[in-house]
Amino acid sequence: MTEEEKIFNKNILIAVDESDNARRAVSYVGQLLGGLPGFKVTILHVVPEPEADYFPTSTQKEEWLNQYILRMDALLEDYRRLLINKGFDPKGVAVRSMLRYCPSMAACILSQRDEGEYGTIVVGRQGLSRSEEFLFGSISSKVVNHARNCTVWVVE
Amino acid sequence: MSNIPSQETLRQMVSRWLPPHRVPQRFRIHTDTTDFVRVEYDDVVILSGRPYLIRHNAKEQRFGLDDEVKFWVKRAVDLEDGSLKIMKLVFYERFMSRIGDIEFERFRSPKKEARILDLVSGHKNFMHGYSIQDEKGNLVRILDFIKGKSLAAHVENMAMDHEAYYHECFPEILGHFFECVQSIRFLHENGERHGDLRRDHILIDRETGDYRWIDFDFNYKHRENIYGFDLFGLGNILVFLAGMGDVLLPDLRREAHPCLNTLSDADLNIIFNHRVVNLKKVYPYISEPLNRTLMHFSKGANWFYENTVQLLDDLEEVKNDH
Repeated sequence: MTEEEKIFNKNILIAVDESDNARRAVSYVGQLLGGLPGFKVTILHVVPEPEADYFPTSTQKEEWLNQYILRMDALLEDYRRLLINKGFDPKGVAVRSMLRYCPSMAACILSQRDEGEYGTIVVGRQGLSRSEEFLFGSISSKVVNHARNCTVWVVE
Repeated sequence: MSNIPSQETLRQMVSRWLPPHRVPQRFRIHTDTTDFVRVEYDDVVILSGRPYLIRHNAKEQRFGLDDEVKFWVKRAVDLEDGSLKIMKLVFYERFMSRIGDIEFERFRSPKKEARILDLVSGHKNFMHGYSIQDEKGNLVRILDFIKGKSLAAHVENMAMDHEAYYHECFPEILGHFFECVQSIRFLHENGERHGDLRRDHILIDRETGDYRWIDFDFNYKHRENIYGFDLFGLGNILVFLAGMGDVLLPDLRREAHPCLNTLSDADLNIIFNHRVVNLKKVYPYISEPLNRTLMHFSKGANWFYENTVQLLDDLEEVKNDH
């Protein structure tokens, strides 16, 4: 595969969470590319390993995590159906949920790009205020700034 | 339970450290600190066989508000060696905190504080102590009492005008603050956040003169920039130090200060709309490198520090300029 083919391949990684902007990102890809041949989509959710400090006991942490994963599995299935309903081949839509220690969610998303051959990463725009972005950082900004050898779509 | 001292033994131990009229006749003894409100003045808490005599509950003093009693934080005397300690009992809380119009989740974690105490053992810019589990597994932190006042009180009580402060006192304070930022870099490099960086969370050790960070039990749910809130705290302290206190818009208006003609939104704190960050407009003798560093915490900034290394690089230049 040439460098040019790598950049413009039809493998798309959509990074999602429970937010409205993530749903908009999935919906955008569905509307834009649904029914077109050759596109393969992976809908990715990185489950950030919850900080042990957040829970008084490890049992509480496990309970929280189990419930969270169940909720996210349902959400990913919902997104998968959304794309299929927009015309994607069911074989071309995969979902992936993975537990990671994630000091930076953007870095976790980008490491997935490196593991697969994705020509495009899609993320939703969080719509942070300027001060909020300064204080806590923005996933989409960091993905845009640090992504290499791929295209990034930030969906408003 | 065999290692619990008798009442008579406790009386003898206490009488080594307190005057006779202060020695209680009878002690209530706790080996389980779960219900920390029940642990009161003159009670004895025994942890791993070591008895501590409880004195007062600690109070939080800030911004002229009424002192808030922290029932889970006690002053205590280690009855083995008579040293004064701060005893922090286990108290979990989670709440939404608001700064400006931004809400984020914060929580207390005894585990975090215990971990950091181990990490910073012997480090001159942190409080010191250790953690012990009580008989119910509560992680109690025993802290060495630091004699000295807070950096906030030190700066606010200076009886001089800003220009004299800036030239005579600020360079030394800046040197100490630089060490404080280095010590936060040390935490971050070890994957830890302080979580509550405030000017009253630096104590100036009266014996050594060192600036020492206290209170590591707060944490926050981070988003993309794991250390962003810590950096914001450092910025606020730096602006406070450079201004010899907060320079507030309402105060400038009351004084009809001439800088009001040139101050704009971009000169204010990125979060707190009433605090002036562009101090050079108020105090023109402030150095360019210092003001440039301050402006990274202003509404007008187009780039925010992502880590302490970047801040330290700029502060190095500020120090060299003084």
